[in-house]
Amino acid sequence: MTARLIMKLRVENIRHTAPEVLHLELVHPQRPVLPEWTAGAHVDLRLPDGRIRQYSLCGDPLDRSRYEIAIKREMNGRGGSIWAHENLQEGSEAHVSAPRNNFPLNNKGERYILIAGGIGITPLLAMARSLRHSGREFAFHYCTRSNVEAPLLDELVKVCGENLHCWFSKEGKRFEPSVIGPYTSGTQIYMCGPQGLLDSVVSSLSGWPDDNVHIEAFQMTSDENFKPEPFEVTLASTGETFLVPADKSMLDVLRQHDFLMSSSCEIGLCGSCECGYRDGVVIHRDKVLPTSKRQDRLMLCVSRARVSVTLEL
Amino acid sequence: MNFYSTPKMPPTMTEAFEHPAGSVAAKSAGGATHWLGKLLHIHIAPSASYEMEELQEAQCIAGRGIMGDRYYNGTGTYSPKPDVREVTLFEQEVLDALSRNDPPMQNGSIVLEPKDHRRNLTVVGVPLNHLVGRRFRVGEVVLRGGRLNFPCKYLEELLGAPVFLPLYNRSGLNCSIEIGGILRPGDQIELLDS
Repeated sequence: MTARLIMKLRVENIRHTAPEVLHLELVHPQRPVLPEWTAGAHVDLRLPDGRIRQYSLCGDPLDRSRYEIAIKREMNGRGGSIWAHENLQEGSEAHVSAPRNNFPLNNKGERYILIAGGIGITPLLAMARSLRHSGREFAFHYCTRSNVEAPLLDELVKVCGENLHCWFSKEGKRFEPSVIGPYTSGTQIYMCGPQGLLDSVVSSLSGWPDDNVHIEAFQMTSDENFKPEPFEVTLASTGETFLVPADKSMLDVLRQHDFLMSSSCEIGLCGSCECGYRDGVVIHRDKVLPTSKRQDRLMLCVSRARVSVTLEL
Repeated sequence: MNFYSTPKMPPTMTEAFEHPAGSVAAKSAGGATHWLGKLLHIHIAPSASYEMEELQEAQCIAGRGIMGDRYYNGTGTYSPKPDVREVTLFEQEVLDALSRNDPPMQNGSIVLEPKDHRRNLTVVGVPLNHLVGRRFRVGEVVLRGGRLNFPCKYLEELLGAPVFLPLYNRSGLNCSIEIGGILRPGDQIELLDS
């Protein structure tokens, strides 16, 4: 759990970068320098009704004067993007958190392959900028329906030059995972996009270890066969035990008992409600914790347990 | 048997009023009773985690807080827990000490601005640690010192700076408002008879 400062930023520029995608530049009305961030980071945008939505920063991490985000209007989404499209304009105030990075770009690679689908370009555009600044070798594969429907394509062309490979399905070009080639230890792959694209790429990467493949998802894994069961949660510090019913999360139950827990997306993506645990068989269900951390960390919003779990609280 | 080795030279001492802290304090009025302080800055935040915003004028409501502040609104991080949180004060002298890396409890000096410590009033020349259980006046407003503030990890996370240990025992004062009114930077602060 990490608390982050919330700032009232001003929308300095807003434009459509694709028919359904707004590109926003946000500045601080009083401070010339915003909190620093690294490629892959996101900010929380707070809506007037208290809901929070995460958007990856797509600008240049070296430019501390502004944050850039792109918001796709999701007609079947949870309402955050529609609010942004209908309400934000030049001069608007946007309540934005300091950045957090759940999808950091490592420096282990000799060569990087970035694969973006549609609006999934946002964290990867920031990564391309960083790789370019540091003079690393990279290839950028951008998968959309057409060049007209490709958000931030103009900017991506400038940043990537000849390292950019566009796959426009309306032109009959669908991403061909075989272009990735066989596993080499010096190659790092970063992907962000719709589940279908991620699934097809991942299924072609047999033999690639987790250390070389990095994925940011838009939505939690939907598993229709998962049936939540009730379980007990115990607090290590006080020994108090609470029942978590099948239709409630640990986060809900802790809040019912007046524990102030921070959270944000509440669908296992953002990492706000990360918590340590001591014993118990945990069913993780989140998309943010790396395998290496799952033996003693969980996400209170979506993780569950078989029978019981003891939290480091 | 001599437990203590004797140095060849007598120890070198810094004269109290030449120390970076003492030299500054010695030039201004002070002490636990005959002090006269000044309000430097007023800050509020509308809700938990929001950046503090500076005010040139603030309305204090007895029994409630500073109008517009998260603890007035009931939207502060600690609002659900009953506590003395109508107004919080912080000493400018502590900010000065941190920027001198005094005491050297971290890797170097920490430059905090008055908006960073997240207490409402930044004051100078006021011995906050001596005002628990005391009444004092800030301009036209009368405050009662309730308890010393305690640093929290939450502040450290928000600031991204290791301020928890350096703020130990100098993290400010939590007060109730006995008589409300308007506060402005520059207001004088003085002890009242309890």
